[in-house]
Amino acid sequence: MLSRVADALYWMSRYLERAEHAARSVDVTFQLDLDLHGVLADSVDTEWNALLALLRMPSPPGIDGHVPASTLPRWILVDGRNPGSVITCVNRSRNNARSIRGSISPLMWRELNKLHWRLADPVMQSRVAESPHDFCEETRIGVLLFHGVSESTLTHDEGWHFIQLGRYLERAEKVLRILGACEILLDSGDAADLPLSNLRWSAVLRNCAAYEAYRRLYISRVEPERVVEFLLVNADFPHSVRFCLTRVVDSLAEIAGRLPDRCDDEVSRTVGRLLSDLVYFDAADLDGERLHDFLSDALARCGRIGSLLQRQYALV
Amino acid sequence: MTPPLLAEVSPPESTVPETSVFSAYELNAAYDELFSSDGLPRPHYAALHERLAHTSPDDFRRRKAMTDLSMREDGVGFTVYRAEEGIERVWPMDPVPRIIPAAEWRRIEAGLVQRITALNLFLWDVYHEQHILRDGVVPARLVLQGGFFRREFVGVDVPRRIYVHICGTDLIRDADGCYLVLEDNARTPSGVSYMLQNRQVLKRVFPALFNDYDVLPNDDYPAALLDVLQWIAPPAAAQPTVVLLSPGMYNSAYFEHSYLAQRMGIELVEGRDLFVDANRVWMRTTRGPRRVDVIYRRIDDDFLDPLTFRPDSALGVPGLVNAYRAGTVALANSIGTGIADDKGVYPFVPDMIRYYLKQDPLLPNVETFRPEIPAERSHVLANLESLVVKRVNESGGYGMLVGPASTREQREEFRAAIEANPRDFIAQPTIQLSTHPTFVDGRLDGRHVDLRPFVLCGERVVVTPGGLTRVALPKGSLVVNSSQGGGSKDTWILADRGSAEDRPERGL
Repeated sequence: MLSRVADALYWMSRYLERAEHAARSVDVTFQLDLDLHGVLADSVDTEWNALLALLRMPSPPGIDGHVPASTLPRWILVDGRNPGSVITCVNRSRNNARSIRGSISPLMWRELNKLHWRLADPVMQSRVAESPHDFCEETRIGVLLFHGVSESTLTHDEGWHFIQLGRYLERAEKVLRILGACEILLDSGDAADLPLSNLRWSAVLRNCAAYEAYRRLYISRVEPERVVEFLLVNADFPHSVRFCLTRVVDSLAEIAGRLPDRCDDEVSRTVGRLLSDLVYFDAADLDGERLHDFLSDALARCGRIGSLLQRQYALV
Repeated sequence: MTPPLLAEVSPPESTVPETSVFSAYELNAAYDELFSSDGLPRPHYAALHERLAHTSPDDFRRRKAMTDLSMREDGVGFTVYRAEEGIERVWPMDPVPRIIPAAEWRRIEAGLVQRITALNLFLWDVYHEQHILRDGVVPARLVLQGGFFRREFVGVDVPRRIYVHICGTDLIRDADGCYLVLEDNARTPSGVSYMLQNRQVLKRVFPALFNDYDVLPNDDYPAALLDVLQWIAPPAAAQPTVVLLSPGMYNSAYFEHSYLAQRMGIELVEGRDLFVDANRVWMRTTRGPRRVDVIYRRIDDDFLDPLTFRPDSALGVPGLVNAYRAGTVALANSIGTGIADDKGVYPFVPDMIRYYLKQDPLLPNVETFRPEIPAERSHVLANLESLVVKRVNESGGYGMLVGPASTREQREEFRAAIEANPRDFIAQPTIQLSTHPTFVDGRLDGRHVDLRPFVLCGERVVVTPGGLTRVALPKGSLVVNSSQGGGSKDTWILADRGSAEDRPERGL
């Protein structure tokens, strides 16, 4: 497979995952807002600005410091000037797909193209002001449709595995960042704030599309340590970091045409080590300081995996 | 001529309603594809006419909207550049198909085969012995000093002696309905993907239209093209690797490049994906370099290889031309074919056919004046108002003077330019082009059309049954280029069996 094609497949998929993630978190924050604004003064602005930081997006042009919450759904979802906005990510994903249209199935292109046009629709965009829900839902469904179509119309060969690499590496990074951002919540275990804490941790789960899955596993209040553990090391849930990295390891093996445990290149070794740290995760590491170190180290290693990939496959 | 209104001339037995989408259809001096001059539908259009006449404007609007939506969702379009920003335009297709009967198509087909055969013989000749120049059939100066003649390729033996593998020849019809060749496109002709896509979309949005006719499928084109590309592979390559070389997604024909690559199952590459090592061409893959044997290139000669042609080109592959010359890689079309579709050489194509094939041309040229000849120059200068003047080295509807639609300043500008460099121009009478019913403003109205069939030359010459019919959408306009606001139609070539009405057992 052409290196340029592999690169475009990888980024097409990463940007799409990024778009889905941003859309989901806007929707979750919007819902959380409606619950919190009566309880906590100033909570709305704080939540939205925290989201902006979590998504690592710049502030809208001309605004320094605190950004008024009311402008943020539009900025995060539909503003083309925002390099990480949903519309920008979908655009970039589509441009990558367009540059290699011949290497994906026609239906995949069609779904991605349809998503692009639906999100570019001015009517759809104008509705974001009142509620971002429809826009976010459209994005998520579009991305899921795309992956469903690719799952059953594209040969699961090298190219398909580059798509999986982009998707799961991006997802692992995002989940790690979300967990990193809620470390502070772990320490503020004030019993009086129980309902509030429940809300916030539910939001963390929803951010990772994990709320229902968590509920089925643990029948109790949402408990912070369990949430972190679930999102980090659950073997079977598609948004846990461990699950994502397992997929990355498998796809790397498929691409190289060897068994998953026969690592002979640096990128596979790096992913493999991180994965085994998760498989043999020590619950004692859930403690504040140690968790912080673990998460930031994992995040750094994910970044390194990305650059090693580029080098290994001469991705442009 | 008074334009007859259809409602007035319809025979009493017709079931065409009093008012229909045809009600205000006007005929004029141009040949109309659907109606004969007495206002009656031509026989091969009768069934279509009947069906369209029973289609309401609202129904038409709905189908037109479905057409646009289909094109948009499939991402069928082209890019127009305005102020740095590339604007994606959706490919415009009119839902009324153009129909060509079997007998008419047989004549066109034979004429096209004759033409591409002669052009290939001409190219071999001018890049080798140059008999035709020495015999004075084509002026030597015209060829050797033409901007598209590649001196570097004199004496080079191209695979299978084929220069033009893919040709798109533009045909128009004069007021008598006679098909004329307007120009040959022998470099990197485009449009074939739109021909294929138009058929797919029309089948989706107006399937009932197909019930009345036996339309020949055009879908074999990509397979036939792949046959040609494999046919010219270097003999050493048992399983040749064929690629399509595109300038990339910002090229206006990128849709076509990706479409054809996908339909043929070959890799679409850009210049940066290829490199030349030891006079062989390789592509960069995730598993290291891989040999390339045949390149269907959609990049002009000038940009193909910065070492040989334009040194500032980043689209091409350094060293490609030398590898081609060494025979380790094949190119389609070959380098240097531009001299065959040079507008200055065009007037001599009928002479080439007589010279090489000892045949009379089956498809005539449009009458062409060459200002280079003093007698013709004075005729051209005296008749600028009625002629179309073209610069010989431009295409795509640019650099043209359409006499009847021109201003005095434009004519004076061309007059001065012709007097200064007469060999840079040709002039032709303004041909009206035939008209075809086209859905505009809620009804059907006549719009001018041309026809670009696609010819492939490999082991044998294949003309795909069909072509791209381009429509000039503004009323009265003769410019059909999509970059200038043209539309398109699905083009039906009928099977030899006649219409379905003659065959009551259809479907059994």
